[in-house]
Amino acid sequence: MSICRRIRALHPVALPLLLGGCDGPQSALRPGGQDAAQLYLLFVVMLVGAVVLWLALNGLFFYFTRVNQQQFSLRHGNRIIIGAGVILPTVVVGSLLAWGLSIMPSQRAPGDGLVIRVTGEEWWWRVEYWPPGADAPIVSANEIRFPAGSRTELRLTARTYIHSLWIPSLGGKMDMIPGRETVLTLHPDLEGFYRGQCAEFCGASHAMMAFESVVMAPDDFDAWLAHEAAPASRPQTPMQVRGQDIFRDEGCGACHAIRGTEFTGSVGPDLTHLASRHSLAAGIMEVERDDLMRWIAHTRDIKPQVAMPPYDWLDAEELAALAAYLESLE
Amino acid sequence: MSRLRVIAVTLAAAAGIAALAGAAVVFLGLYNTSAKSGHWAITGWVLHTTFENAVELRAPPPKAVPDDLEDPALIELGARHFDSACRMCHASPGQVAGATVRAMVPPPPQIERATANWQPAEMHWIVEQGVKMSGMPAWPAEGRGDEVWAVVAFLSAVKRGLGPADYATLTEPSPQGYCAGCHGRQGTVRAPRLDILSPEYIATALRAYRTGARPSGIMAHAISQVDPAADARLAADLSDLPPAPRDENGQAPAADAEAIARTGSIDIPACLSCHGPGNRNPLIPSLDGQVRAYLEQQLFLWRDGRRGGGARAVLMHEAADALTDVQIRALAAYFAERGVPDRNDPE
Repeated sequence: MSICRRIRALHPVALPLLLGGCDGPQSALRPGGQDAAQLYLLFVVMLVGAVVLWLALNGLFFYFTRVNQQQFSLRHGNRIIIGAGVILPTVVVGSLLAWGLSIMPSQRAPGDGLVIRVTGEEWWWRVEYWPPGADAPIVSANEIRFPAGSRTELRLTARTYIHSLWIPSLGGKMDMIPGRETVLTLHPDLEGFYRGQCAEFCGASHAMMAFESVVMAPDDFDAWLAHEAAPASRPQTPMQVRGQDIFRDEGCGACHAIRGTEFTGSVGPDLTHLASRHSLAAGIMEVERDDLMRWIAHTRDIKPQVAMPPYDWLDAEELAALAAYLESLE
Repeated sequence: MSRLRVIAVTLAAAAGIAALAGAAVVFLGLYNTSAKSGHWAITGWVLHTTFENAVELRAPPPKAVPDDLEDPALIELGARHFDSACRMCHASPGQVAGATVRAMVPPPPQIERATANWQPAEMHWIVEQGVKMSGMPAWPAEGRGDEVWAVVAFLSAVKRGLGPADYATLTEPSPQGYCAGCHGRQGTVRAPRLDILSPEYIATALRAYRTGARPSGIMAHAISQVDPAADARLAADLSDLPPAPRDENGQAPAADAEAIARTGSIDIPACLSCHGPGNRNPLIPSLDGQVRAYLEQQLFLWRDGRRGGGARAVLMHEAADALTDVQIRALAAYFAERGVPDRNDPE
């Protein structure tokens, strides 16, 4: 974050426009973990190096054309060409290569225990948490939470199309390929919210395939994971009960699971703790009444070609009840 | 004037005169459209030969003919549709059509004569496509060539010698009314049973048949025999109609059918979430104990995108999208074998 601030300080008006991408929850220039920090350092070294080289080269041009226009001896000329044209690039590129190769394995360093399997679906993320020793996953969707201060292993695959998982503030991107498993490990350090995005064009709603990721203190993460593993809360108010009846009678449970109920579908996202997630429909809306109602009734207007059909035959009262039930799934 | 120019002017003049003569025929009513005298022999020959060759060229290949064409239930379904939709013009076996129909130009061939020279694939093409300028209509539903095979099964039975007595048995009217002819106690095992459906669902289906939202040539014809004002009462009556006893020598459903129905898979929504006893939505049909052949046919239509219905039809298009042929047959057998829940039982 420091480099952005410093550059911004140089020119208070124009630079914020140019550097708008530097800040916010989806910026590779604001690292929140070891892997992103390493990539950030690599970027800064390359940038600074490029600037130094550019200045030096232009300095040489300037020197030889304007300051010192004398003829050099052949020997002197050869020395400059061999030194600056052969040895210097070989050393610079060679050491960058050595450094790059040396830090590459750390992007796939073994995790400290927690494994998260993420499947790229059309166009959302199926997320399964496998704590060490677990024989069944804790299923969630469209949000990935990490404990701060340890290395988490992400095992990635995809359903139909190739996707790519990228949380710029936490690390590099990794392709998700149907029928194959790719591995990415991340070591987040700073608690907070980071936005992730599919980074491989995957069809009509590629741009609407995002997610929130949350880095939490290890204790908070454990408490959250225990809550995530628990069954859903029961509807309390009459409106929520009516919402659950509509959920059942419209057959929502054929595709969506809500653990602790009769709804066990596995086609679409697990909704057991939908209301504790920070976004709806894979990072494009919020889990609140109006967005839920709009989403359920107009899925394909909002997100082209998504598998969930628009339930446009439900009236406002039914949609509100359904939304009230979903909002209660903390 | 050059020779070329003479030719061009002559041709242009001839074309002008021909256009004027044509316009005179159309606008002054010079051509006599009376059907009294029939066609000239040569016109009749040209029209009929053109028709025969068009059918031969376009009929589906013999391998498209389903292998259950001799299934008595299919023949009965075809016979009952024929009796209501086609008999007026082609007459039943051993009978002749009414004098008015026989005065048509061309007169519709009596059923034994109509079937004598055609193979099943060709009959299918004629029944589905109709014959222009002859009075023979096309099948009144788009994309439902599958239904036409029932009529072809019946026509093939006629060709094999099905006589008036057999016909009378096949098409015997039901004392429970017109609909019960297929859906009632003596109904065919190809038609769905209605006693497991709610009046609301049946009313939605009837509306969809009327508007064409659910394409079916057989049902579009059947529903056109009923006064739309009576649909609500009809739906209530039909949902009490006791079905035909079945003896399907049922294939045992494949083992994974129950798993798909109960929990679905990552591609397939769980059938029983909507069609199970827990669901109280009257617009979603119960499938327990439904006719296997019907379930199978409908699942294929859903999967192939040719089935319509009410607003919720979109759900079944998604649900059936990933089913394989094997899974469709297994699921149809599974639901056909499931016990019918007692509708008065609250659970």
